[in-house]
Amino acid sequence: MANFRRFRPDDLNKLSKCNLDPLTETYELGFYLQYYAKWPSLFQVAEDQHGNIIGYIMGKLESSPDVYQFSEHYLPWHAHITAVTVAPEARRLGIGKLLTEQLEVAADANNTWFVDLFVRTTNFKAIAFYKSMGYSIFRVVKDYYGDHSSDPTRSSEDAYDMRKPMKRDVKKEHIREDGEKFEVDPSDVW
Amino acid sequence: MSYAGYGRPALKSSVDVQLQTAFSDGNWNSVIRLADKRAKSLKDPYYEAIKICAESQLDGVAEKCAVLVAIDELAKQKTVPDIDTLELYEWAAGDFLDEDIDYADTLGPLRVKWAKANPKNTLAVECLQACLDHWDLVSAQQIATALDKAYLGSGDRRYMFWSISLTYLLSVSPQCSDTSRKVYSLLVLKQLERAAAITEDSPKVESTDRGLLNDEEIMLYYRVLLAHGTKEDFLKRIQSPRLGALSQLKEGHKALFWESLGTLESWAEWDLIYDLCLKAFRLGLNGTTPTFFVCDWRVWKSFVAAASKAADPDSALREVQSILKEFLAIDTKGAESIKKNLMLALLEITFRLPITTSGSDVGKKGLTPRVIQIGLFLDQYFERLSAFDDLKDHVADLTFEEAKVFMEDVVPKILDGKPDKPKQVILTSLKCKLQYLLTTCPQTLSHHPSVVDGQKQDKPYRCRFCSHLTSLPCEYCLKQIILEAATTHKQISADKELINAIPRLDKDPRLDLSLVIGTSLLKLSALPPNASGVTPPAMRDTNPGLLLQGIVVLEAQLRETPSDSGIRLLLVQLHLLIGCASYAHQLWVPMDVKRTIQDALSPLFFDRISSISPGLFQGSHPLMEPLRSYYSNSLRDNCPLRIWDAFSAGSYAGILRMSEYDDTLRRSCTLMMTLVEERRATRAFGGKIDTDIEAHQLTASITDGTKFLNKTDYGSFSNLESFHGPPIQDFIRVGPELSDERARLSYVSEQFFDILAFKPPKDYKPAKTNEAAIRDRNYILECLAHQSNSLTNVLHQPKTASLLTSSELSYFTTLSLLSAALLTSISTTRADPAPKSLSLLTASIRSSLTSLRTTYLTTSPLQTSATYFSLSNMHMLAHTRDTAVAVKHAAAFVLALHERELARDRSGKSALHKDVVAEMKALESVASKTLAETKSHVQKLKESLGESGWLDNMLGWVFGEGDETEGEPFRRAVSDILGGTYGAEEWAGKVLESWREGVKGWGMVRWE
Repeated sequence: MANFRRFRPDDLNKLSKCNLDPLTETYELGFYLQYYAKWPSLFQVAEDQHGNIIGYIMGKLESSPDVYQFSEHYLPWHAHITAVTVAPEARRLGIGKLLTEQLEVAADANNTWFVDLFVRTTNFKAIAFYKSMGYSIFRVVKDYYGDHSSDPTRSSEDAYDMRKPMKRDVKKEHIREDGEKFEVDPSDVW
Repeated sequence: MSYAGYGRPALKSSVDVQLQTAFSDGNWNSVIRLADKRAKSLKDPYYEAIKICAESQLDGVAEKCAVLVAIDELAKQKTVPDIDTLELYEWAAGDFLDEDIDYADTLGPLRVKWAKANPKNTLAVECLQACLDHWDLVSAQQIATALDKAYLGSGDRRYMFWSISLTYLLSVSPQCSDTSRKVYSLLVLKQLERAAAITEDSPKVESTDRGLLNDEEIMLYYRVLLAHGTKEDFLKRIQSPRLGALSQLKEGHKALFWESLGTLESWAEWDLIYDLCLKAFRLGLNGTTPTFFVCDWRVWKSFVAAASKAADPDSALREVQSILKEFLAIDTKGAESIKKNLMLALLEITFRLPITTSGSDVGKKGLTPRVIQIGLFLDQYFERLSAFDDLKDHVADLTFEEAKVFMEDVVPKILDGKPDKPKQVILTSLKCKLQYLLTTCPQTLSHHPSVVDGQKQDKPYRCRFCSHLTSLPCEYCLKQIILEAATTHKQISADKELINAIPRLDKDPRLDLSLVIGTSLLKLSALPPNASGVTPPAMRDTNPGLLLQGIVVLEAQLRETPSDSGIRLLLVQLHLLIGCASYAHQLWVPMDVKRTIQDALSPLFFDRISSISPGLFQGSHPLMEPLRSYYSNSLRDNCPLRIWDAFSAGSYAGILRMSEYDDTLRRSCTLMMTLVEERRATRAFGGKIDTDIEAHQLTASITDGTKFLNKTDYGSFSNLESFHGPPIQDFIRVGPELSDERARLSYVSEQFFDILAFKPPKDYKPAKTNEAAIRDRNYILECLAHQSNSLTNVLHQPKTASLLTSSELSYFTTLSLLSAALLTSISTTRADPAPKSLSLLTASIRSSLTSLRTTYLTTSPLQTSATYFSLSNMHMLAHTRDTAVAVKHAAAFVLALHERELARDRSGKSALHKDVVAEMKALESVASKTLAETKSHVQKLKESLGESGWLDNMLGWVFGEGDETEGEPFRRAVSDILGGTYGAEEWAGKVLESWREGVKGWGMVRWE
């Protein structure tokens, strides 16, 4: 049983099904509230019949500061997926997909060019999931993560910066075919 | 306003470089000298302000406080203050704000004065922000209103909604007087009604109009309407063409529709709910909104409920059914959860219709459409992890006949239809869970006469499944379930094909099977749900072998699936229950409960922890530090965290919710638990408590009227219980969960200890000692009277006893009696008549203490089973000790006061009555005796645990040696899956070690 709606602060008391999963990060209160206060339509949850949160997505709207306007790494107005998680018991029910679609609706409503996100290059499941939803690799951010998810001997891991164009990008100017070949440093990522 | 380094305000640009540099370098003596010089030569009071500001950074108390005097003087002036001076003073007074001076009485009104005089200056918004930072709603509202007026007609609607939001917040805040509350409530409602009328009446609302334009503004309107408007207005508006719920759905906003369902349900407006839901679903079907936009479970549930309450429920439910079928015919494009919602809604409808038997199989009485529908759902979704939770309430709602047909015909048929082995075991494990669920349903039992043939019967029921006489739940059925689950478990482990298939499944089916076995064993051990007064006898009445075996089964499973938090949480609580706190902590840590989720989850480990194992507080890292930091960081300021972000972003509904959330966090039971547990542990080891609980930063907003809130999240517990009885956590928690009553009693008790521990600072030498002594005594009497009243009020509430363990009840009752006894004692001088009530109070205190002592200490820990029961009930030992300490300290407090009075007033008139002195000495003696006995009990426990043979004894219990269940097939089956005693040895070692660690910690406790 699932409901889909916007996040409310009292949902923070019902996060255990998601956040006790070792793969889900728990943030400080101010972090959640900042997203809720600034971008409420991009913070969506799925809840079960008892009000337990079984999935959520947090996103924000932003562009690079004007000072970078002429940089090749300049990011125009877009939505960014900061976190998306689904409780183990609620997986394989399309909840992640529905949450992402809702964020995309909000991104379109805010007239963004695209939605982007970072994902570990070894997180094949997530990459396949995003590809199935129309996201493509835009660039590779070298050593973006300060640890490696599967190899403890390595101290970093690359990220894919994945994007999906929104309605505003009629000419598909903000995506590229061969994003795997474009490597950037973390310092180039704003 | 700009800021220089270290958060210092920047000085005016007209200030010379020399002074600017000294200020930015923090060279305060130079700043004072230079500012003084400039003030004299330029006659500009701003330099005087700089000087005062610099002085506040010096160490002297007088210099530091000069800024307070300056602020006070500024507040008295009728002229508009200089904003830069204000800024300097606000920074300089930072340490005093909200503690020594109230922002709302000083700087807030000064900010208002300035902002009203300069509303179009950009700094006016910063004045508003400053008032919000200090949560001075009165000033903030005034500034926002001034801004709104100033920008009227400018097209900037922001200020209007800031003003409205703040007027609303003020109207529901304790900062507002009762008379003003009515005015503000009316004002905010009228403002929003006007805005709503503009929206409703205009063909198109422009972004410059003062109407309601976006969803945040509309949600704000409805929130205010609900709080301050009438039901009729709400009902009218929710159906209106522009601002109604359906209109908002068409705009792509479903929050209003969603939230209005809850409101309408609370008013039982079923016809309207039905109408709204019908139209909302039609919008999806005809393509006006995205097809499945409102296909949430919550909406379907309301729709079905409303249909069942319609004048013609049959036709209404048929209509719902027909809409559902329309949706089911549409491809959900991989959104399985939506399809599942539809299937569950179909099931829900079946449960709202009268129970009829299916025409196709009239021979079977229980084969109703409800059973058929559950079967259809099960057939489709049994592989999903949520299948059991999705179905459990419906299965628990079946009549016995239906349940019988479901379990004996329908489920086996579905099983027969799954030749695939992995699917079969998944279904079998689900079947075991459902069988267990039914043992918790009363309809599976029939009453059995209490006397048969003149013989009194032990068992009040007959199980309708197995026909055995039983109590609830049916022991025979539980044993059969264990047998089946253990057999399936063994079958999986022995089958390579199944083992290889497990990684491809959602979950290892053995996890569910272990859960069923473990929970069944807990139930067989006769563990009762928590209620007042049952804790010690309950543990004594349980069968330790079955309880421990249940734990071992779950523990073995956790080793295989360490990331399963459901089983881990059960084990944390179970180990706390048997007194293995250090091992429970080891199980708790990997869950990484940190930051924001601590408020909801920490009680699962930390509640009552100081009474179970104070030794845990002696580790290298302060046990409660993460929790304390979380609250300190989140509640550091008076204003809700990130509230200005919501103002800036125009998230008006968010502003209200964030403010409500902040309020609930400030009165969280977990917050109080954090403070109290740490204080109790500190006291147990004779440590010094730095701050009185009342003066603690985190209790600043606690008043006598504060209602504490328990937000503990049990959502992750693996719970197989039906809605007919308590959930699993109520069986395995050490006593009732957190509550307002317990939080209040704990808070006041700590205040009582603070009074007992109070000592004036050594350098405090009052000039008029007699007057000071009288003042002190009056203050103590006042505090005691308040504490006595508070404790008595809560303890006299009818439900309080059921919210406490028996030892907590004794402890708080004794403290209540003690505060009353002290009140009488201290107010009775030698010259007064003998206080008659005192002997009654002290007799009750002695009796309470004796009762605690005898309940706990009568069993000798030299017997192994008695040691086990003692170790499982250290909570009572802790309260016996704490009660005795409270009695001893209270008596000592009175006697010390008596001695001081004798020394101060040589006439002896101020000294206490001789009966008081005698009673207090008697109490002190009883308390000392109790403490000595308790200490000796701990020593005996230590000795007992040091003896050899413990591991063998434990393993003997686990495997039922000498037990009445020894040799029963279910015990053998469990033993088989555990791999015999070998499989439990490691666990037994950990438990023993944990008990020893716990008792070692108790050995360090002070017994005086």
